[in-house]
Amino acid sequence: MHPVIPYVVAALLFGVGVYGVLVRRNAVLLLMSIELMLNAVNLMFVTADTSIVGVPRSGQVFTLFVIVLAAAEVGVGLAVILRFFRLRASVETDGVGAATETDAPREADAPRAAVRPDPDGEAR
Amino acid sequence: MSGYLGSYATLGILLVVGVVLFGAAFAGNRLLRPHRPDPGKLTTYESGVDPVGGDWAQAEIRYYVFAYLYVLFAVESVFLFPWALVFARPGFGTTTLVEMAVFVAVLLLGLLYAWRKGVLRWT
Amino acid sequence: MNPVLAADITLPHINYGAIAPILILLGMACVGVLAEAFLPRTLRYPVQVLVSLVAQVAGLATIIGLALSNYAKKPTLTAGDALAVDGPGLFLQGAVLVLGIVATLLIAERSVERGGAFVAQAAVTAGSEADAEQARRQPSQTEIFPLSLFALGGMMLFVSANDLLTMFVALEVFSLPLYLMCALARRRRLLSQEAAVKYFLLGAFSSAFFVYGIAMLYGFAGSVKFHDIAVAAISSGKSDLLMFIGLAMLAIGLLFKAAAVPFHVWTPDVYQGAPTPVTALMASCTKVAAFGGILRIFYVAFLDSRWDWRPVIGVIAVLTMVIGAILAVTQTDIKRLLAYSSIANAGYVLTGVLAMQKDGISSSLFYLVTYGFTVLAAFGLVTLVRDQDGEATHLSRWAGLGRKAPVLAGVFTFLMLSFAGIPLTSGFTGKFAVFSAALGGGQTTLVIFGVLSSVLLAFPYLRVVVLMYLQEPAADAPTVAVPGALTSAALAIGAIVTLLLGVWPSVLLDVANSAAQFVG
Repeated sequence: MHPVIPYVVAALLFGVGVYGVLVRRNAVLLLMSIELMLNAVNLMFVTADTSIVGVPRSGQVFTLFVIVLAAAEVGVGLAVILRFFRLRASVETDGVGAATETDAPREADAPRAAVRPDPDGEAR
Repeated sequence: MSGYLGSYATLGILLVVGVVLFGAAFAGNRLLRPHRPDPGKLTTYESGVDPVGGDWAQAEIRYYVFAYLYVLFAVESVFLFPWALVFARPGFGTTTLVEMAVFVAVLLLGLLYAWRKGVLRWT
Repeated sequence: MNPVLAADITLPHINYGAIAPILILLGMACVGVLAEAFLPRTLRYPVQVLVSLVAQVAGLATIIGLALSNYAKKPTLTAGDALAVDGPGLFLQGAVLVLGIVATLLIAERSVERGGAFVAQAAVTAGSEADAEQARRQPSQTEIFPLSLFALGGMMLFVSANDLLTMFVALEVFSLPLYLMCALARRRRLLSQEAAVKYFLLGAFSSAFFVYGIAMLYGFAGSVKFHDIAVAAISSGKSDLLMFIGLAMLAIGLLFKAAAVPFHVWTPDVYQGAPTPVTALMASCTKVAAFGGILRIFYVAFLDSRWDWRPVIGVIAVLTMVIGAILAVTQTDIKRLLAYSSIANAGYVLTGVLAMQKDGISSSLFYLVTYGFTVLAAFGLVTLVRDQDGEATHLSRWAGLGRKAPVLAGVFTFLMLSFAGIPLTSGFTGKFAVFSAALGGGQTTLVIFGVLSSVLLAFPYLRVVVLMYLQEPAADAPTVAVPGALTSAALAIGAIVTLLLGVWPSVLLDVANSAAQFVG
């Protein structure tokens, strides 16, 4: 019998992730929504693996790759968001692009929010 | 409950039993215990010590680097498991061993870089 | 032991010679990381530039060697069919590297701005005391070189990937360094960081769609190899719906990287915010890589189902050309103008791709190279027009440059004419190649829209030219920096190739023609 339930759950998870990305405005929550989407993919891979006669367990191995890439993505993403937070003191994405859309981006260098003293701003 | 959904029946029964057991324990507790409300009972439980400070504590952002390094290594080690299953087979042997050594060496390169950049220093 | 597991798993044979270019790039990137970790600060810059250029030249030499031996004629699959070494793969790898070398020259430039265009610590607020302090103590950023090597290696892996999983891994390998490189601008740091956040979030979103498409196709075909998908597509008894959903999801991920409408919204902001040399790298190399992936997926995995999906992608191509051209007209910032022009150019390449026959492949390959060189030179020139805030990218600031800097204005005019598709430039020969391929493939509608949009697109380019020559310079007009040796070299290469391929296109077109055969 076709494994319907896992597929439906995976599709729902993916949908929840897409909804989160479209609705949320906090960069970290966006990242979490994207993770949800990737986990939906993992569930699909593992499920599809059970009904496939081919290279044995290939779907499960694909899942490992997706997990690892998701971790790498989160690492880079958190670093980028963290740097952004230090300049802006906010991780709301609503303001992203506000500086680009003005016709005179020369003011963009001015710190828009008071940046807190950086405890480990020492050069590495 | 046969066929495809039958395999989920065990899981469902386990869930139901869990809920019933939980509910029964709390109901029994409610029936048997004395009822003496006290404001002290509503405070946060901190291992018997009086709670100190607010409930909003932020972790230092510099832990992020350690957490991240840990996550990377923990996650990358996932590739070791499928490798461990096949590498003793005939025909795999040395080649697979060398390939895994290269893989681990690249990981170590990352750790080395973090160490040289002073990320691992705990100040 | 588990009976399924005990089934035959054999060690895949890896032809190390055939994938040597990728290994060289990634290996040298690791060397670059080591250099960054252990060398004293003063030595890092020369060593990194050297490592970076040596890696790319060595990789290019290996590719040429492979192409001259019979890999182009007798394509091979290696590493358990995960990698294809064939004509288009080698051509695209070579294109990525050639363009990468020129972009590296731009990245390595340090005389235009003291310490180069990249900041050592991106989190420090620009203009603050800490910023002056860090500029004094550690003037330069050298991590950009290993990052760009990783990105280029990933792109080479991407264009030769022969299954979807390898393709996804390669996609991440080249995207993740690019996200970081976007955030490293020395000037206008907030803009740069915003660009990185935007690029990252949208990029991760689109790659999630890509991998969902992979899962769909895995469920459909039982394998992620392009060949198996192609076989499953023509065998009866399988639901095509799953395949088309999967293809649509894959296309979202790929068209995002290629900056096609409606997946283009990130492009202007990211191109504007990223440091200009990195923008040049993205506009040239990333485009080559993205279209390499698109070509391989469409021509290897989905060739037989083309009648079903070609109209949809055709609509996207038309939208890309028309909307890119219309929005380019309204721009007032040179980097944003070039960004919208790169969107419209993605539409032209897509037109060539949709020819779905051999000269569709070769003309797309040719167009990617011609566009890459021209856009590299254009962004290189943008780095030279400066005022006290860094690059003066607003178009009104470019007024009267023709009098102040005739050489720069002359070269820029030539590049603009090439973008506009005037004969004797590579822009003309490239457009001619893709449009005639598309006509041969029966895509007349696409060609009509392509020609109309390129007429429209000529307007913003010529407006810049008019602005430079026919308007009075403002009192506080930006100065034109004297390019250092590296930028001069990059500009010269870009402009000369633009001219050369305009007057003598067959030199590259013949190579592209002989390379245009995918291994199935």
